[in-house]
Amino acid sequence: MTLPVAHALASRQDLPIPAWLFAWAASIVLIVSFFALSAAWRKPQLEDEHRRPLGERFSAALLSLPAQVLCGAIGVFLLGVAVYAGLRGTEAPDRNFALTFIFVTCWLGFPFFSAIFGDLFRPFNPWRAVGRAAGGAFTAAAGQRPAHLAYPERLGRWPAAVGLFAFVWIEVVYGRTSIVSVDIEPHAVAVAALVYSVYTLAMMAVFGVEKWCERGEAFSVYFGMFGRLGIFGAREGRIYRRRPFSAATSWATVPGSAAVVIASIAATSFDGAQDGAFKDAIEKVFIWFGDRGLALTTALRLTDTIFMLATFAAVGAIYLLGVRGMRTVPGAPSFKQLRTGFAHTLIPIALAYLVAHYFSFFVFQEQAQFGYLLSDPLGTGHTDLFGTVANEVDYKLLSANAIWYVQVAALVIGHVIGLMLAHDRALVYWPDYRKATASQYWMLAVMVAFTCFGLYLLSVANG
Amino acid sequence: MLPLAHVGHYLWTLYVIPILIVVAAIVRNTIAQRRAGRDD
Repeated sequence: MTLPVAHALASRQDLPIPAWLFAWAASIVLIVSFFALSAAWRKPQLEDEHRRPLGERFSAALLSLPAQVLCGAIGVFLLGVAVYAGLRGTEAPDRNFALTFIFVTCWLGFPFFSAIFGDLFRPFNPWRAVGRAAGGAFTAAAGQRPAHLAYPERLGRWPAAVGLFAFVWIEVVYGRTSIVSVDIEPHAVAVAALVYSVYTLAMMAVFGVEKWCERGEAFSVYFGMFGRLGIFGAREGRIYRRRPFSAATSWATVPGSAAVVIASIAATSFDGAQDGAFKDAIEKVFIWFGDRGLALTTALRLTDTIFMLATFAAVGAIYLLGVRGMRTVPGAPSFKQLRTGFAHTLIPIALAYLVAHYFSFFVFQEQAQFGYLLSDPLGTGHTDLFGTVANEVDYKLLSANAIWYVQVAALVIGHVIGLMLAHDRALVYWPDYRKATASQYWMLAVMVAFTCFGLYLLSVANG
Repeated sequence: MLPLAHVGHYLWTLYVIPILIVVAAIVRNTIAQRRAGRDD
């Protein structure tokens, strides 16, 4: 599986205008949207979720204990299959169930669908299921609920941000075996999954299952973040429908949340740029390290790590620049308040980057997932569980131009939603809409910068 | 002879132009507002 070139399986042809002109057009769309928002949106609309509960029976059925046990068991079973396939299956990355299941079906599928329907990972979270089962067994045996340490609130979501960064590092840095490809070994992924499982269950035992899922469990926090954009939520035993994007406004109140969303944008940017925009620079630094006697693999991983950290720093700096700009408007709250208060506006951008970079990869790899990988998870060529082992990936399903248009549309829509969320939050801090609009000039610059940067990365990667 | 063989290396400048336009407009607007505030 060669991840970074996944969205560049075919070269574009016959675009009606040059690729860079799309960046200009996207910028104009953002500017027009900005002024439309300032003219027509004069009161906060998204601070309240406007919850409308769904039918009582429907909620009761979906949230019942048997349904929770079933979903948890499915999650545990699939994690078990992935780990087993990684440990015992073929070392050919594209033929082993583990890699596609973890890096494509889960890593991309949960954000894509959670952004529409709400947090879908929570019921299927295998570690949460095991943690809750263990907690239940302890309570039954000891006659009391397990005691936990108080979670240090200052840590906030920082453990999740570090976990997210580590996951992406394994995917795009550790797994890189040469300057041109990423071929991570399924065995290494399975071992990493086991190590992460032990760490997660230990943290759940110390701080409590739900607390650790809310704060430190990287996948729960990451997928839950995108789930805040979706239209369904659950609270107090009821499933409810809510105003789209409204749940995102309360997401970033916990410390470290900005780091999570910035890490997401940076990880996608780095993955896209690794073999495109950054390729020449990475090669130069790699050769420099090699000349100083470092082993080739070490030099490559060190170079990639530096560029990945630099991308994280650059994305963070662009956001903080926008926040700093807001401080110049009279009546502005503190820098810290603004930094936290606007972090959620980056969630749709993180999603837009994911869609733009991996949409085609997801469509292609899911054909493999539900085709030959499902029937032959170990990739040995000896099993055909569902009779689909001969199914191949149809790369003609999407034309190169269709992929490009989806990429452009994702980036533009994601940034317009980001602008909308930022404008809505600005109206909370500056009830005078003129001041709120003035405060958002710099956020407009941030959005235009992220859009143009994203389109540039894609244009280079797509060739 | 123009060195067009490496023109692709500088294509990124075309992506920076919209950002520069927006930033320049913001700076210009901010300065104008401050001046207007001082005059008042």
